[in-house]
Amino acid sequence: MGTAGPVNPATGRELPGGRPGGRAGSLAGRLVRAPLTARTRRELLFCLTEAALGLVVLAVPFGLLALLVVVQRLMRGTTPPNLVPSAPVSDHPAGALVYLGILLVVLLLAVFLAPRLGRGLGAVHRYLAARLLGEPVGEPAPARRGRGGPGRLAAMLRDGPGWRAVAYPLVKLPVLVVEIYAVFFAAAGLVNLTYPFWWRLFRNHPPGVRLQPVPVLTPFGSFDIATFAGTFAAFAAGAAMVLAAPWVARAAAAADVWLMRGLLGPGRLAQRVADLEQSRALAVEDSAALLRRLERDLHDGAQIRLATLAMNLGMAREKLPADADPDVRELVDAAHQGAKDALADLRNLARGIHPPALDNGLADALATLAAGSAVPVELTTALPRRPAPAIETIAYFCAAELLANAAKHSHANRVTVELTEREAELTLRVSDDGAGGADPARGSGLSGLAQRVRTVDGRVEIVSPPGGPTQVTVTLPMHA
Amino acid sequence: MTASPPESASAPQRAAGGAPRLRVVIAEDAALFREGLARLLADRGHQVVAAVGDADALLAAVARHRPDVAVADIRMPPTHTDEGLRAAIEMRHDHPGTGVLVLSQYIETRYAARLLAGNAAGVGYLLKDRVADVAEFADALARVAAGGTALDPEVVSQLVRASRQVQGIATLTPREREVLALMAEGRSNAGIAAALVVSAGVVEKHVASIFGKLGLPPSEADNRRVLAVLRYLGS
Repeated sequence: MGTAGPVNPATGRELPGGRPGGRAGSLAGRLVRAPLTARTRRELLFCLTEAALGLVVLAVPFGLLALLVVVQRLMRGTTPPNLVPSAPVSDHPAGALVYLGILLVVLLLAVFLAPRLGRGLGAVHRYLAARLLGEPVGEPAPARRGRGGPGRLAAMLRDGPGWRAVAYPLVKLPVLVVEIYAVFFAAAGLVNLTYPFWWRLFRNHPPGVRLQPVPVLTPFGSFDIATFAGTFAAFAAGAAMVLAAPWVARAAAAADVWLMRGLLGPGRLAQRVADLEQSRALAVEDSAALLRRLERDLHDGAQIRLATLAMNLGMAREKLPADADPDVRELVDAAHQGAKDALADLRNLARGIHPPALDNGLADALATLAAGSAVPVELTTALPRRPAPAIETIAYFCAAELLANAAKHSHANRVTVELTEREAELTLRVSDDGAGGADPARGSGLSGLAQRVRTVDGRVEIVSPPGGPTQVTVTLPMHA
Repeated sequence: MTASPPESASAPQRAAGGAPRLRVVIAEDAALFREGLARLLADRGHQVVAAVGDADALLAAVARHRPDVAVADIRMPPTHTDEGLRAAIEMRHDHPGTGVLVLSQYIETRYAARLLAGNAAGVGYLLKDRVADVAEFADALARVAAGGTALDPEVVSQLVRASRQVQGIATLTPREREVLALMAEGRSNAGIAAALVVSAGVVEKHVASIFGKLGLPPSEADNRRVLAVLRYLGS
């Protein structure tokens, strides 16, 4: 590029605004330099590939039609005429039926496969836009898979993003024309520029010989030149075309990208949902990380200071002489006890913020939780992989809440806690043999638990008939 | 213990209170607490041969100094999770003669189980709070150095709760459970008697009853008895 114009840091190419000020001189300079920039090269290459791809895709339906015609011809040729001599072959009911059958199969195949093909081609178009123009277009939502044979077929037909992708090559026809034009501007313009240079090499004919005039192609038709002076007209036309080519290419590329965003992208609502999901996951992970940092800061700061204070007070207490003032001894004792109590309070607080055993995984943390429970707990954990930290934290606090509930409300004699992973989902199941009748609507901790689980699209299922037993199943994604 | 370095030759060979003078390695990443602990131990006549800030340095110091006992924090750099615990387990394997006293601001059942791993000789696991009760902490340290056990009351209660499904524990009387808990902390019969303010004979009767109910043959040695109890709790 070499110019001092502002450059987009993301794509590394010049911003369209050019230099600030926009004086007439710099405008002319930009016009002259435009055909030479890397951006123009990439945009022209984009137009060329898109034009070729668009033409090929449009040619496919015609190719299919041609194939059908060929099949029909072949059948007409291969059916022995003496089989049914009274009727023309094309009127033969069996032949027509076979032909209709083939037509139907091809049409059905086309209808069912079109969304898939559209998606595949859409990916190619998006790749070209991202690679050559630096314009990333988001992927549409993945196609849903139906259950069973008919369900799968129905899902293939109801693939909205797939059909939008099928519409794209048809809707872009006008843009395709402009893209072809842009390529033509550049290619024919360059050819026209060369006329004055080679004219004399081939026109060294003897005087008096009449020569065929040479056609010069322009977007507005062609004109013929027959003299050296005429080549200057061709040169002028070529220069105008080469100078105009970048802007035609730019307009075509911009229009194409606009169409891609509408037809090959995720759709505005889907994009919004994806953005929100992403920002929510970030928020959830961020808050988990924040709590973890807070606990670590407490551990390395206040807790250490308090433990040291308690230790020093303990030493001071030991060193008090036997005949020390009883008031002093009492004060030191009180301070010593106070420091120890504060340390215990702080430990409980920190554990409620982020249980440190979670750093070693859910299994360790739940084992400690189970050991601290007032009701005997049978714990089974089978986690081949570790979930995201935020998910571990949510699962841990769910288990803590459910164990506390079992101890407080259900009068259970034993509780089983199961933790398993299946199909990228974490399942926590807490069952007790208690009185049952747990109801999230009655304002117990269960509604808060459900809310916590909902922040990551998890589910809570409560089975608790009056008289028991109670089984609560919490399902969480492995990642927020 | 007999080969004391020359620079401390003037220090008494018996620590305050008549306990043997111990050579100790301290591993704790918080400098404030590390210095306090070193001072406490020096005050009681022990010799701190090394005070380090992470697990690798701890293992190096233990290999070099062969101390009587090492005091290690569980959470140390670089990941601040269980470095100290892993170093302690490695030390128990490589240097069976060195006692290991693990300190932590939290008690985790799994950590205790990993640390004990069926062998409670020369091992301790205490909350950092317990250091504040200087005399008791010094007792615990001496016990661990001598091949005994020092478990935090919280560890014991967790292990007892975790093993409530084990047959036999449920049949203990509340008093017997108290005695069992104190026993698991590593106390002798005399220590238990002092803690419960009863005579040693009463404690002996309780202990015999506990072993009877748990189906363990009674034994004279404190270590074997704690070992048996912990194995039972850990099963």
